[in-house]
Amino acid sequence: MIRFLLGKIVMAFLTVFITTMIETSYHGNPNLKPVGYQHDFTPEQIEEVRRNLGLDKPIYVQYFMYIEKLFQGDLGYTIRGGQPVIQVIFQRLPNTIMLACAAMIIAIGIGLPIGFFAAYKKGTIWDTFVMIIAIAGISMPHFWLGLILLFFFAVELGWLPVSGSGYMNLILPALTLGLSNAAIIARLTRSSMIDVMQQDFVQTALAKGLPKGLVLRRHVLRAGLVPLITMMGLQFAFMMGGAIVVENIFSWNGVGRMAVEAIFQRDYPIIQGFILTFAVVVVIVSIFLDTIYAFIDPRIRRS
Amino acid sequence: MSEKLKSEELKTKNQSFFIRLLSTPNGFIGLTIVIILILSAGFADFLAPFSPTKMMVGNRFLPPNLEFILGTDEFGRDMVSRILFGSRLTLMIGAIAVGISMTTGIMIGLFAAYKGGWLEILLMRSTDILFSFTETLIALSCVAVLGPSLTNAVIAVGIAGIPFYARTCYSAALVEKSKPYFEASIACGASHSRLVFMHLLPNVLPTMIVISTLGVSTAILAAAGLSFLGLGAQPPLPEWGYMLAGSRDYINRAPWLMTIPGVAIALTVLGFNLLGDGFRTVLDPVERQR
Repeated sequence: MIRFLLGKIVMAFLTVFITTMIETSYHGNPNLKPVGYQHDFTPEQIEEVRRNLGLDKPIYVQYFMYIEKLFQGDLGYTIRGGQPVIQVIFQRLPNTIMLACAAMIIAIGIGLPIGFFAAYKKGTIWDTFVMIIAIAGISMPHFWLGLILLFFFAVELGWLPVSGSGYMNLILPALTLGLSNAAIIARLTRSSMIDVMQQDFVQTALAKGLPKGLVLRRHVLRAGLVPLITMMGLQFAFMMGGAIVVENIFSWNGVGRMAVEAIFQRDYPIIQGFILTFAVVVVIVSIFLDTIYAFIDPRIRRS
Repeated sequence: MSEKLKSEELKTKNQSFFIRLLSTPNGFIGLTIVIILILSAGFADFLAPFSPTKMMVGNRFLPPNLEFILGTDEFGRDMVSRILFGSRLTLMIGAIAVGISMTTGIMIGLFAAYKGGWLEILLMRSTDILFSFTETLIALSCVAVLGPSLTNAVIAVGIAGIPFYARTCYSAALVEKSKPYFEASIACGASHSRLVFMHLLPNVLPTMIVISTLGVSTAILAAAGLSFLGLGAQPPLPEWGYMLAGSRDYINRAPWLMTIPGVAIALTVLGFNLLGDGFRTVLDPVERQR
Protein backbone atom coordinates (compact mmCIF):
# COMPACT_ATOMS: atom_id res chain seq x y z
CA MET A 1 0.00 0.00 0.00
CA ILE A 2 2.78 2.39 0.93
CA ARG A 3 4.63 1.58 -2.27
CA PHE A 4 1.47 2.19 -4.25
CA LEU A 5 1.01 5.58 -2.63
CA LEU A 6 4.66 6.52 -3.10
CA GLY A 7 4.36 5.79 -6.81
CA LYS A 8 1.31 8.02 -7.00
CA ILE A 9 3.07 10.84 -5.18
CA VAL A 10 6.09 10.65 -7.51
CA MET A 11 3.69 10.93 -10.46
CA ALA A 12 2.02 13.88 -8.76
CA PHE A 13 5.33 15.71 -8.40
CA LEU A 14 6.11 15.02 -12.05
CA THR A 15 2.75 16.47 -13.04
CA VAL A 16 3.31 19.62 -11.04
CA PHE A 17 6.81 20.03 -12.44
CA ILE A 18 5.63 19.69 -16.02
CA THR A 19 2.97 22.29 -15.25
CA THR A 20 5.52 24.74 -13.90
CA MET A 21 7.61 24.16 -17.00
CA ILE A 22 4.69 25.07 -19.26
CA GLU A 23 3.99 28.09 -17.11
CA THR A 24 7.44 29.57 -17.31
CA SER A 25 7.21 29.52 -21.07
CA TYR A 26 4.69 32.34 -20.69
CA HIS A 27 7.52 34.55 -19.66
CA GLY A 28 9.08 34.28 -23.07
CA ASN A 29 5.98 35.97 -24.42
CA PRO A 30 7.06 39.23 -26.10
CA ASN A 31 3.53 40.66 -25.83
CA LEU A 32 4.01 41.14 -22.14
CA LYS A 33 3.40 44.71 -21.23
CA PRO A 34 1.75 46.05 -18.14
CA VAL A 35 -1.76 46.31 -19.52
CA GLY A 36 -4.38 47.88 -17.36
CA TYR A 37 -2.70 51.22 -17.74
CA GLN A 38 -4.03 52.86 -20.84
CA HIS A 39 -1.18 55.19 -21.67
CA ASP A 40 1.96 54.11 -23.50
CA PHE A 41 5.14 53.14 -21.80
CA THR A 42 8.62 54.14 -22.79
CA PRO A 43 10.87 51.26 -23.84
CA GLU A 44 12.97 51.88 -20.72
CA GLN A 45 9.98 51.44 -18.44
CA ILE A 46 8.96 48.20 -20.17
CA GLU A 47 12.55 47.03 -19.86
CA GLU A 48 12.46 47.78 -16.16
CA VAL A 49 9.25 45.78 -15.65
CA ARG A 50 10.78 42.89 -17.56
CA ARG A 51 13.89 43.07 -15.39
CA ASN A 52 11.84 43.14 -12.20
CA LEU A 53 9.96 40.04 -13.31
CA GLY A 54 13.24 38.38 -14.31
CA LEU A 55 12.24 38.25 -17.97
CA ASP A 56 15.64 39.35 -19.23
CA LYS A 57 17.16 36.05 -18.11
CA PRO A 58 17.12 32.85 -20.18
CA ILE A 59 14.04 30.68 -19.77
CA TYR A 60 15.75 27.86 -17.88
CA VAL A 61 17.13 30.35 -15.35
CA GLN A 62 13.62 31.74 -14.97
CA TYR A 63 12.35 28.23 -14.47
CA PHE A 64 14.71 27.51 -11.59
CA MET A 65 13.98 30.90 -10.09
CA TYR A 66 10.30 30.06 -10.18
CA ILE A 67 10.83 26.63 -8.61
CA GLU A 68 13.07 28.07 -5.91
CA LYS A 69 10.43 30.61 -4.99
CA LEU A 70 7.72 27.99 -5.20
CA PHE A 71 9.37 25.96 -2.46
CA GLN A 72 9.31 29.06 -0.28
CA GLY A 73 5.57 29.36 -0.91
CA ASP A 74 6.11 32.41 -3.09
CA LEU A 75 4.16 32.59 -6.35
CA GLY A 76 5.17 36.15 -7.10
CA TYR A 77 3.09 39.30 -6.92
CA THR A 78 0.14 40.41 -9.02
CA ILE A 79 1.02 42.99 -11.65
CA ARG A 80 -2.06 44.97 -10.72
CA GLY A 81 -2.14 45.84 -7.04
CA GLY A 82 1.10 44.06 -6.14
CA GLN A 83 -0.55 41.55 -3.79
CA PRO A 84 1.04 38.14 -3.16
CA VAL A 85 -0.51 35.75 -5.70
CA ILE A 86 -0.76 32.89 -3.22
CA GLN A 87 -2.88 35.04 -0.94
CA VAL A 88 -5.22 36.08 -3.75
CA ILE A 89 -5.66 32.47 -4.78
CA PHE A 90 -6.25 31.11 -1.29
CA GLN A 91 -8.91 33.72 -0.76
CA ARG A 92 -10.91 32.43 -3.70
CA LEU A 93 -10.04 28.75 -3.95
CA PRO A 94 -12.51 27.64 -1.23
CA ASN A 95 -15.33 29.14 -3.29
CA THR A 96 -14.39 27.13 -6.37
CA ILE A 97 -13.89 23.92 -4.40
CA MET A 98 -17.26 24.44 -2.75
CA LEU A 99 -18.91 24.97 -6.14
CA ALA A 100 -17.23 21.90 -7.66
CA CYS A 101 -18.16 19.70 -4.69
CA ALA A 102 -21.78 20.86 -4.64
CA ALA A 103 -21.99 20.27 -8.40
CA MET A 104 -20.42 16.82 -7.99
CA ILE A 105 -23.03 15.86 -5.39
CA ILE A 106 -25.83 16.98 -7.71
CA ALA A 107 -24.26 15.21 -10.69
CA ILE A 108 -23.80 11.91 -8.84
CA GLY A 109 -27.15 12.20 -7.08
CA ILE A 110 -28.96 12.51 -10.41
CA GLY A 111 -26.67 10.69 -12.83
CA LEU A 112 -26.01 7.52 -10.86
CA PRO A 113 -29.61 6.42 -10.18
CA ILE A 114 -30.69 7.33 -13.70
CA GLY A 115 -27.80 5.44 -15.29
CA PHE A 116 -28.47 2.44 -13.06
CA PHE A 117 -32.14 2.54 -13.96
CA ALA A 118 -31.34 2.69 -17.69
CA ALA A 119 -29.00 -0.28 -17.36
CA TYR A 120 -31.65 -2.24 -15.47
CA LYS A 121 -34.25 -1.45 -18.13
CA LYS A 122 -31.74 -2.03 -20.92
CA GLY A 123 -33.28 -2.23 -24.38
CA THR A 124 -36.70 -0.97 -23.33
CA ILE A 125 -38.34 2.32 -24.20
CA TRP A 126 -37.23 3.65 -20.78
CA ASP A 127 -33.60 3.03 -21.61
CA THR A 128 -33.92 4.80 -24.96
CA PHE A 129 -35.75 7.69 -23.33
CA VAL A 130 -33.11 8.14 -20.63
CA MET A 131 -30.28 7.91 -23.14
CA ILE A 132 -31.89 10.51 -25.40
CA ILE A 133 -32.15 12.87 -22.42
CA ALA A 134 -28.52 12.11 -21.55
CA ILE A 135 -27.20 12.84 -25.03
CA ALA A 136 -29.24 16.05 -25.10
CA GLY A 137 -27.76 16.95 -21.73
CA ILE A 138 -24.23 16.35 -22.97
CA SER A 139 -24.89 18.55 -26.01
CA MET A 140 -26.25 21.37 -23.88
CA PRO A 141 -23.61 24.08 -23.52
CA HIS A 142 -23.32 24.69 -19.78
CA PHE A 143 -23.04 28.42 -20.30
CA TRP A 144 -26.43 28.35 -22.00
CA LEU A 145 -27.96 26.16 -19.31
CA GLY A 146 -26.63 28.69 -16.80
CA LEU A 147 -28.31 31.56 -18.62
CA ILE A 148 -31.60 29.68 -18.81
CA LEU A 149 -31.55 28.86 -15.10
CA LEU A 150 -30.61 32.47 -14.39
CA PHE A 151 -33.52 33.67 -16.50
CA PHE A 152 -36.14 31.44 -14.91
CA PHE A 153 -35.15 31.23 -11.27
CA ALA A 154 -33.54 34.60 -10.73
CA VAL A 155 -35.19 36.94 -13.21
CA GLU A 156 -38.68 35.56 -13.92
CA LEU A 157 -39.52 33.83 -10.65
CA GLY A 158 -37.20 35.86 -8.44
CA TRP A 159 -36.62 32.86 -6.14
CA LEU A 160 -32.85 33.06 -6.14
CA PRO A 161 -30.39 35.96 -6.28
CA VAL A 162 -28.76 36.77 -9.64
CA SER A 163 -25.24 37.05 -8.28
CA GLY A 164 -23.39 37.38 -5.02
CA SER A 165 -21.49 35.15 -2.62
CA GLY A 166 -23.95 33.65 -0.11
CA TYR A 167 -25.12 30.03 0.10
CA MET A 168 -28.25 30.88 -1.83
CA ASN A 169 -25.99 32.07 -4.65
CA LEU A 170 -24.32 28.69 -4.77
CA ILE A 171 -27.52 26.92 -5.85
CA LEU A 172 -27.75 28.11 -9.46
CA PRO A 173 -24.08 27.68 -10.46
CA ALA A 174 -23.93 24.29 -8.74
CA LEU A 175 -27.12 23.22 -10.52
CA THR A 176 -25.72 24.38 -13.87
CA LEU A 177 -22.49 22.44 -13.49
CA GLY A 178 -24.17 19.48 -11.81
CA LEU A 179 -26.89 18.97 -14.40
CA SER A 180 -24.54 19.03 -17.37
CA ASN A 181 -22.26 16.49 -15.70
CA ALA A 182 -25.14 14.31 -14.52
CA ALA A 183 -25.70 13.36 -18.16
CA ILE A 184 -22.11 12.17 -18.54
CA ILE A 185 -22.24 10.26 -15.26
CA ALA A 186 -25.53 8.62 -16.28
CA ARG A 187 -23.92 7.31 -19.47
CA LEU A 188 -20.81 6.08 -17.68
CA THR A 189 -22.90 4.38 -15.00
CA ARG A 190 -25.12 2.71 -17.56
CA SER A 191 -22.28 1.16 -19.54
CA SER A 192 -20.42 0.12 -16.39
CA MET A 193 -23.52 -1.58 -14.95
CA ILE A 194 -24.36 -3.28 -18.23
CA ASP A 195 -20.85 -4.73 -18.32
CA VAL A 196 -21.33 -6.15 -14.85
CA MET A 197 -24.83 -7.49 -15.53
CA GLN A 198 -23.50 -9.58 -18.41
CA GLN A 199 -20.91 -11.27 -16.23
CA ASP A 200 -21.13 -14.87 -15.08
CA PHE A 201 -21.35 -14.24 -11.35
CA VAL A 202 -24.49 -12.16 -11.80
CA GLN A 203 -26.07 -14.82 -14.01
CA THR A 204 -25.12 -17.43 -11.40
CA ALA A 205 -26.65 -15.41 -8.61
CA LEU A 206 -29.87 -15.07 -10.59
CA ALA A 207 -29.83 -18.75 -11.52
CA LYS A 208 -29.50 -19.66 -7.83
CA GLY A 209 -32.85 -17.99 -7.40
CA LEU A 210 -31.71 -15.02 -5.37
CA PRO A 211 -34.21 -12.16 -5.36
CA LYS A 212 -33.55 -9.72 -8.18
CA GLY A 213 -33.34 -6.70 -5.87
CA LEU A 214 -30.70 -8.41 -3.78
CA VAL A 215 -28.62 -9.32 -6.83
CA LEU A 216 -28.83 -5.76 -8.10
CA ARG A 217 -27.79 -4.26 -4.82
CA ARG A 218 -25.19 -6.73 -3.60
CA HIS A 219 -23.66 -7.91 -6.85
CA VAL A 220 -24.25 -5.46 -9.68
CA LEU A 221 -24.13 -2.15 -7.86
CA ARG A 222 -21.06 -3.04 -5.82
CA ALA A 223 -19.02 -4.33 -8.73
CA GLY A 224 -20.23 -1.64 -11.09
CA LEU A 225 -19.32 1.21 -8.80
CA VAL A 226 -15.63 0.30 -8.62
CA PRO A 227 -14.60 1.36 -12.15
CA LEU A 228 -16.77 4.47 -11.77
CA ILE A 229 -14.64 5.72 -8.88
CA THR A 230 -11.57 6.30 -11.05
CA MET A 231 -13.68 8.06 -13.65
CA MET A 232 -14.86 10.46 -10.95
CA GLY A 233 -11.35 11.94 -10.82
CA LEU A 234 -11.56 13.00 -14.43
CA GLN A 235 -15.12 14.20 -13.80
CA PHE A 236 -13.87 16.38 -10.98
CA ALA A 237 -11.29 17.91 -13.28
CA PHE A 238 -14.09 18.57 -15.80
CA MET A 239 -16.05 20.25 -13.02
CA MET A 240 -13.13 22.52 -12.24
CA GLY A 241 -12.79 23.35 -15.93
CA GLY A 242 -16.51 24.02 -16.23
CA ALA A 243 -16.37 26.16 -13.11
CA ILE A 244 -14.23 28.67 -15.02
CA VAL A 245 -17.17 29.46 -17.31
CA VAL A 246 -19.98 29.06 -14.78
CA GLU A 247 -18.32 31.33 -12.20
CA ASN A 248 -18.29 34.06 -14.82
CA ILE A 249 -22.01 33.74 -15.56
CA PHE A 250 -23.05 34.00 -11.95
CA SER A 251 -20.24 36.31 -10.82
CA TRP A 252 -19.24 33.64 -8.32
CA ASN A 253 -16.04 34.79 -6.70
CA GLY A 254 -13.82 31.80 -7.42
CA VAL A 255 -10.44 31.19 -9.02
CA GLY A 256 -11.96 30.66 -12.47
CA ARG A 257 -13.39 34.14 -12.61
CA MET A 258 -10.12 35.46 -11.28
CA ALA A 259 -8.21 33.69 -14.04
CA VAL A 260 -10.38 35.13 -16.83
CA GLU A 261 -10.03 38.62 -15.40
CA ALA A 262 -6.28 38.10 -15.18
CA ILE A 263 -6.14 37.11 -18.86
CA PHE A 264 -7.83 40.36 -19.83
CA GLN A 265 -5.42 42.33 -17.69
CA ARG A 266 -2.44 40.22 -18.75
CA ASP A 267 -1.68 39.57 -15.12
CA TYR A 268 0.61 36.62 -15.80
CA PRO A 269 1.63 35.79 -12.21
CA ILE A 270 -2.04 35.16 -11.40
CA ILE A 271 -2.56 32.95 -14.46
CA GLN A 272 0.54 30.95 -13.56
CA GLY A 273 -0.66 30.60 -10.01
CA PHE A 274 -4.10 29.54 -11.20
CA ILE A 275 -2.78 26.80 -13.46
CA LEU A 276 -0.51 25.51 -10.74
CA THR A 277 -3.39 25.48 -8.26
CA PHE A 278 -5.58 23.67 -10.77
CA ALA A 279 -2.85 21.05 -11.27
CA VAL A 280 -2.39 20.57 -7.53
CA VAL A 281 -6.13 20.20 -6.90
CA VAL A 282 -6.57 17.73 -9.77
CA VAL A 283 -3.57 15.71 -8.58
CA ILE A 284 -4.76 15.62 -4.95
CA VAL A 285 -8.24 14.51 -5.99
CA SER A 286 -6.88 11.78 -8.25
CA ILE A 287 -4.50 10.48 -5.54
CA PHE A 288 -7.40 10.45 -3.10
CA LEU A 289 -9.63 8.52 -5.51
CA ASP A 290 -6.86 6.10 -6.50
CA THR A 291 -6.31 5.37 -2.82
CA ILE A 292 -10.00 4.63 -2.35
CA TYR A 293 -9.89 2.46 -5.44
CA ALA A 294 -6.91 0.51 -4.11
CA PHE A 295 -8.62 0.19 -0.78
CA ILE A 296 -11.76 -1.28 -2.30
CA ASP A 297 -10.02 -3.51 -4.81
CA PRO A 298 -6.97 -5.26 -3.29
CA ARG A 299 -5.81 -6.41 -6.75
CA ILE A 300 -4.82 -2.82 -7.61
CA ARG A 301 -2.69 -2.48 -4.50
CA ARG A 302 -0.63 -5.55 -5.32
CA SER A 303 0.02 -4.84 -8.97
CA MET B 1 -13.29 -8.39 -64.50
CA SER B 2 -12.02 -8.99 -61.00
CA GLU B 3 -11.23 -5.28 -60.69
CA LYS B 4 -14.81 -4.43 -61.54
CA LEU B 5 -16.14 -7.03 -59.14
CA LYS B 6 -13.98 -5.66 -56.40
CA SER B 7 -15.23 -2.14 -56.90
CA GLU B 8 -18.82 -3.40 -56.96
CA GLU B 9 -18.22 -5.24 -53.73
CA LEU B 10 -16.66 -2.17 -52.17
CA LYS B 11 -19.61 -0.11 -53.29
CA THR B 12 -22.17 -2.40 -51.67
CA LYS B 13 -20.03 -2.48 -48.56
CA ASN B 14 -20.00 1.31 -48.45
CA GLN B 15 -23.69 1.43 -49.25
CA SER B 16 -24.59 -0.96 -46.51
CA PHE B 17 -22.52 1.09 -44.12
CA PHE B 18 -24.42 4.17 -45.12
CA ILE B 19 -27.78 2.46 -44.92
CA ARG B 20 -26.89 0.97 -41.57
CA LEU B 21 -25.94 4.44 -40.37
CA LEU B 22 -29.25 5.85 -41.56
CA SER B 23 -31.21 3.03 -40.00
CA THR B 24 -29.98 3.89 -36.52
CA PRO B 25 -32.15 6.70 -35.14
CA ASN B 26 -29.08 8.52 -33.80
CA GLY B 27 -27.24 8.39 -37.08
CA PHE B 28 -30.29 9.50 -39.06
CA ILE B 29 -31.13 12.51 -36.88
CA GLY B 30 -27.47 13.44 -36.49
CA LEU B 31 -26.79 13.30 -40.21
CA THR B 32 -29.91 15.36 -40.94
CA ILE B 33 -28.86 18.09 -38.51
CA VAL B 34 -25.29 18.13 -39.83
CA ILE B 35 -26.47 18.33 -43.46
CA ILE B 36 -28.85 21.19 -42.65
CA LEU B 37 -25.97 22.94 -40.92
CA ILE B 38 -23.64 22.48 -43.89
CA LEU B 39 -26.32 23.75 -46.28
CA SER B 40 -27.06 26.83 -44.18
CA ALA B 41 -23.35 27.56 -43.91
CA GLY B 42 -22.81 27.10 -47.63
CA PHE B 43 -25.79 29.14 -48.77
CA ALA B 44 -25.73 31.76 -46.03
CA ASP B 45 -25.19 34.49 -48.64
CA PHE B 46 -28.40 33.54 -50.46
CA LEU B 47 -30.53 32.61 -47.48
CA ALA B 48 -29.77 35.54 -45.21
CA PRO B 49 -32.18 38.45 -45.75
CA PHE B 50 -29.68 41.04 -44.37
CA SER B 51 -25.98 41.40 -43.77
CA PRO B 52 -25.09 39.87 -40.38
CA THR B 53 -23.31 43.04 -39.32
CA LYS B 54 -25.74 45.61 -40.74
CA MET B 55 -27.00 47.80 -37.89
CA MET B 56 -30.49 49.25 -38.15
CA VAL B 57 -30.87 51.77 -35.33
CA GLY B 58 -34.65 52.00 -35.73
CA ASN B 59 -35.06 48.25 -35.34
CA ARG B 60 -33.40 47.57 -32.01
CA PHE B 61 -34.75 44.77 -29.81
CA LEU B 62 -37.58 43.79 -32.14
CA PRO B 63 -39.16 40.55 -30.95
CA PRO B 64 -39.57 37.82 -33.60
CA ASN B 65 -42.02 39.07 -36.26
CA LEU B 66 -42.80 38.59 -39.95
CA GLU B 67 -39.96 40.73 -41.30
CA PHE B 68 -37.38 39.66 -38.74
CA ILE B 69 -38.35 36.06 -38.11
CA LEU B 70 -36.02 35.66 -35.15
CA GLY B 71 -36.07 39.29 -34.05
CA THR B 72 -33.23 41.78 -33.85
CA ASP B 73 -30.46 42.38 -31.33
CA GLU B 74 -29.24 45.38 -29.38
CA PHE B 75 -27.84 47.04 -32.52
CA GLY B 76 -30.85 46.24 -34.65
CA ARG B 77 -29.07 43.44 -36.50
CA ASP B 78 -31.20 40.69 -37.99
CA MET B 79 -30.89 37.49 -35.93
CA VAL B 80 -31.69 35.13 -38.83
CA SER B 81 -28.75 36.49 -40.80
CA ARG B 82 -26.46 36.35 -37.79
CA ILE B 83 -27.39 32.76 -37.00
CA LEU B 84 -26.92 31.71 -40.65
CA PHE B 85 -23.50 33.32 -40.95
CA GLY B 86 -22.70 32.05 -37.47
CA SER B 87 -23.20 28.48 -38.68
CA ARG B 88 -20.43 29.07 -41.21
CA LEU B 89 -18.09 30.30 -38.48
CA THR B 90 -19.05 27.42 -36.21
CA LEU B 91 -18.38 24.78 -38.85
CA MET B 92 -15.04 26.35 -39.72
CA ILE B 93 -14.07 26.51 -36.06
CA GLY B 94 -14.97 22.86 -35.58
CA ALA B 95 -13.19 21.69 -38.73
CA ILE B 96 -9.98 23.66 -38.20
CA ALA B 97 -9.69 22.86 -34.50
CA VAL B 98 -10.28 19.15 -35.11
CA GLY B 99 -7.84 19.29 -38.05
CA ILE B 100 -5.13 20.65 -35.77
CA SER B 101 -5.72 18.22 -32.94
CA MET B 102 -6.25 15.19 -35.14
CA THR B 103 -3.14 15.56 -37.34
CA THR B 104 -0.90 16.35 -34.39
CA GLY B 105 -2.53 13.67 -32.24
CA ILE B 106 -2.14 11.03 -34.96
CA MET B 107 1.52 11.93 -35.43
CA ILE B 108 2.26 11.72 -31.72
CA GLY B 109 0.24 8.52 -31.27
CA LEU B 110 1.77 6.75 -34.28
CA PHE B 111 5.27 7.85 -33.38
CA ALA B 112 4.95 6.74 -29.76
CA ALA B 113 3.41 3.38 -30.68
CA TYR B 114 5.90 2.66 -33.47
CA LYS B 115 9.09 3.84 -31.82
CA GLY B 116 8.50 2.54 -28.33
CA GLY B 117 11.17 2.82 -25.65
CA TRP B 118 11.70 5.89 -23.51
CA LEU B 119 10.16 8.17 -26.15
CA GLU B 120 6.91 6.23 -25.90
CA ILE B 121 6.88 6.59 -22.12
CA LEU B 122 7.72 10.28 -22.27
CA LEU B 123 5.14 11.11 -24.95
CA MET B 124 2.30 9.07 -23.51
CA ARG B 125 2.93 10.15 -19.91
CA SER B 126 2.88 13.80 -20.96
CA THR B 127 -0.35 13.36 -22.92
CA ASP B 128 -1.86 11.54 -19.91
CA ILE B 129 -0.94 14.45 -17.70
CA LEU B 130 -2.28 17.01 -20.17
CA PHE B 131 -5.44 14.93 -20.60
CA SER B 132 -6.16 15.15 -16.88
CA PHE B 133 -6.12 18.94 -17.10
CA THR B 134 -9.25 19.00 -19.24
CA GLU B 135 -9.59 20.87 -22.50
CA THR B 136 -11.02 24.02 -20.99
CA LEU B 137 -7.92 24.69 -18.92
CA ILE B 138 -5.44 23.95 -21.71
CA ALA B 139 -7.41 26.14 -24.10
CA LEU B 140 -7.61 28.89 -21.51
CA SER B 141 -3.86 28.86 -20.89
CA CYS B 142 -3.14 28.87 -24.63
CA VAL B 143 -5.38 31.92 -25.06
CA ALA B 144 -3.58 33.53 -22.14
CA VAL B 145 -0.30 33.20 -24.03
CA LEU B 146 -1.61 34.04 -27.51
CA GLY B 147 -4.08 36.75 -26.56
CA PRO B 148 -7.87 36.80 -27.11
CA SER B 149 -9.07 36.47 -30.73
CA LEU B 150 -11.08 33.97 -32.73
CA THR B 151 -8.04 32.58 -34.56
CA ASN B 152 -6.19 32.11 -31.30
CA ALA B 153 -9.21 30.50 -29.70
CA VAL B 154 -9.42 27.98 -32.55
CA ILE B 155 -5.71 27.23 -32.24
CA ALA B 156 -6.09 26.90 -28.48
CA VAL B 157 -9.02 24.50 -28.80
CA GLY B 158 -7.05 22.56 -31.42
CA ILE B 159 -4.06 22.22 -29.10
CA ALA B 160 -6.30 21.33 -26.18
CA GLY B 161 -7.73 18.40 -28.14
CA ILE B 162 -4.36 16.83 -29.00
CA PRO B 163 -4.07 14.56 -25.91
CA PHE B 164 -7.42 12.91 -26.65
CA TYR B 165 -6.52 12.06 -30.26
CA ALA B 166 -2.96 11.07 -29.35
CA ARG B 167 -4.20 8.60 -26.75
CA THR B 168 -6.82 7.06 -29.03
CA CYS B 169 -4.42 6.82 -31.96
CA TYR B 170 -1.75 5.33 -29.73
CA SER B 171 -3.94 2.51 -28.46
CA ALA B 172 -5.34 1.81 -31.93
CA ALA B 173 -1.82 1.70 -33.38
CA LEU B 174 -0.65 -0.65 -30.64
CA VAL B 175 -3.42 -3.09 -31.58
CA GLU B 176 -2.37 -2.94 -35.25
CA LYS B 177 1.27 -3.37 -34.34
CA SER B 178 0.58 -6.61 -32.54
CA LYS B 179 -1.16 -8.20 -35.53
CA PRO B 180 0.66 -10.90 -37.53
CA TYR B 181 0.57 -8.97 -40.83
CA PHE B 182 2.61 -6.22 -39.28
CA GLU B 183 5.28 -8.61 -38.11
CA ALA B 184 5.23 -10.18 -41.55
CA SER B 185 5.92 -6.88 -43.26
CA ILE B 186 8.79 -6.22 -40.86
CA ALA B 187 10.14 -9.65 -41.80
CA CYS B 188 9.81 -8.72 -45.48
CA GLY B 189 12.05 -5.77 -44.83
CA ALA B 190 9.52 -2.95 -45.17
CA SER B 191 10.96 0.48 -44.47
CA HIS B 192 9.99 2.56 -41.48
CA SER B 193 7.93 4.98 -43.53
CA ARG B 194 6.17 2.12 -45.30
CA LEU B 195 5.29 0.47 -42.00
CA VAL B 196 3.98 3.68 -40.49
CA PHE B 197 2.23 5.26 -43.45
CA MET B 198 1.10 2.22 -45.46
CA HIS B 199 0.20 -0.12 -42.60
CA LEU B 200 -0.41 1.71 -39.35
CA LEU B 201 -1.94 4.94 -40.62
CA PRO B 202 -4.66 3.52 -42.92
CA ASN B 203 -5.72 1.12 -40.19
CA VAL B 204 -6.03 3.65 -37.41
CA LEU B 205 -7.74 6.20 -39.65
CA PRO B 206 -11.30 4.78 -39.44
CA THR B 207 -11.20 4.90 -35.63
CA MET B 208 -9.83 8.42 -35.76
CA ILE B 209 -12.55 9.58 -38.13
CA VAL B 210 -15.25 8.21 -35.86
CA ILE B 211 -13.88 9.93 -32.77
CA SER B 212 -13.29 13.11 -34.72
CA THR B 213 -17.05 13.38 -35.33
CA LEU B 214 -17.53 13.43 -31.57
CA GLY B 215 -14.48 15.69 -31.34
CA VAL B 216 -16.08 18.32 -33.57
CA SER B 217 -18.86 18.77 -31.02
CA THR B 218 -16.38 19.11 -28.14
CA ALA B 219 -14.33 21.61 -30.15
CA ILE B 220 -17.40 23.69 -31.07
CA LEU B 221 -18.50 23.74 -27.44
CA ALA B 222 -15.06 24.71 -26.19
CA ALA B 223 -14.63 27.49 -28.76
CA ALA B 224 -18.12 28.83 -28.06
CA GLY B 225 -17.27 28.76 -24.36
CA LEU B 226 -14.13 30.82 -24.97
CA SER B 227 -16.08 33.31 -27.09
CA PHE B 228 -18.70 33.43 -24.36
CA LEU B 229 -16.00 34.51 -21.91
CA GLY B 230 -14.86 37.17 -24.38
CA LEU B 231 -11.63 35.27 -25.08
CA GLY B 232 -12.58 34.16 -28.59
CA ALA B 233 -14.55 35.86 -31.34
CA GLN B 234 -14.54 39.62 -31.08
CA PRO B 235 -17.35 41.95 -32.22
CA PRO B 236 -18.97 42.29 -34.71
CA LEU B 237 -18.46 38.62 -35.70
CA PRO B 238 -21.73 36.65 -35.60
CA GLU B 239 -20.26 33.91 -33.42
CA TRP B 240 -22.90 32.07 -31.41
CA GLY B 241 -21.00 31.92 -28.12
CA TYR B 242 -20.21 35.59 -28.30
CA MET B 243 -23.85 36.37 -29.14
CA LEU B 244 -24.93 34.47 -26.04
CA ALA B 245 -22.53 36.42 -23.86
CA GLY B 246 -24.00 39.70 -25.08
CA SER B 247 -27.55 38.51 -24.37
CA ARG B 248 -26.93 38.29 -20.62
CA ASP B 249 -27.31 42.04 -20.22
CA TYR B 250 -30.69 42.04 -21.97
CA ILE B 251 -32.01 38.86 -20.39
CA ASN B 252 -35.10 40.72 -19.15
CA ARG B 253 -35.79 42.85 -22.15
CA ALA B 254 -35.04 40.46 -24.99
CA PRO B 255 -35.06 36.82 -23.92
CA TRP B 256 -35.00 35.66 -27.57
CA LEU B 257 -31.41 36.91 -27.83
CA MET B 258 -30.50 34.30 -25.25
CA THR B 259 -32.68 31.51 -26.63
CA ILE B 260 -31.78 31.53 -30.31
CA PRO B 261 -27.97 31.24 -30.29
CA GLY B 262 -28.24 28.74 -27.43
CA VAL B 263 -30.60 26.52 -29.43
CA ALA B 264 -28.26 26.85 -32.42
CA ILE B 265 -25.19 25.71 -30.45
CA ALA B 266 -27.06 22.94 -28.66
CA LEU B 267 -28.56 21.57 -31.91
CA THR B 268 -25.21 21.65 -33.70
CA VAL B 269 -23.43 19.86 -30.88
CA LEU B 270 -26.31 17.40 -30.60
CA GLY B 271 -26.11 16.72 -34.33
CA PHE B 272 -22.43 15.84 -34.23
CA ASN B 273 -22.84 13.84 -31.03
CA LEU B 274 -25.68 11.79 -32.53
CA LEU B 275 -23.78 11.26 -35.77
CA GLY B 276 -20.70 10.12 -33.86
CA ASP B 277 -22.87 7.82 -31.79
CA GLY B 278 -24.41 6.42 -34.96
CA PHE B 279 -20.97 5.80 -36.48
CA ARG B 280 -19.89 4.00 -33.37
CA THR B 281 -22.99 1.84 -33.25
CA VAL B 282 -22.50 0.80 -36.86
CA LEU B 283 -18.76 0.18 -36.61
CA ASP B 284 -18.51 -1.35 -33.16
CA PRO B 285 -20.19 -4.76 -33.01
CA VAL B 286 -20.06 -4.93 -29.22
CA GLU B 287 -21.88 -1.64 -28.98
CA ARG B 288 -24.39 -2.83 -31.57
CA GLN B 289 -25.49 -5.73 -29.40
CA ARG B 290 -26.46 -3.41 -26.59
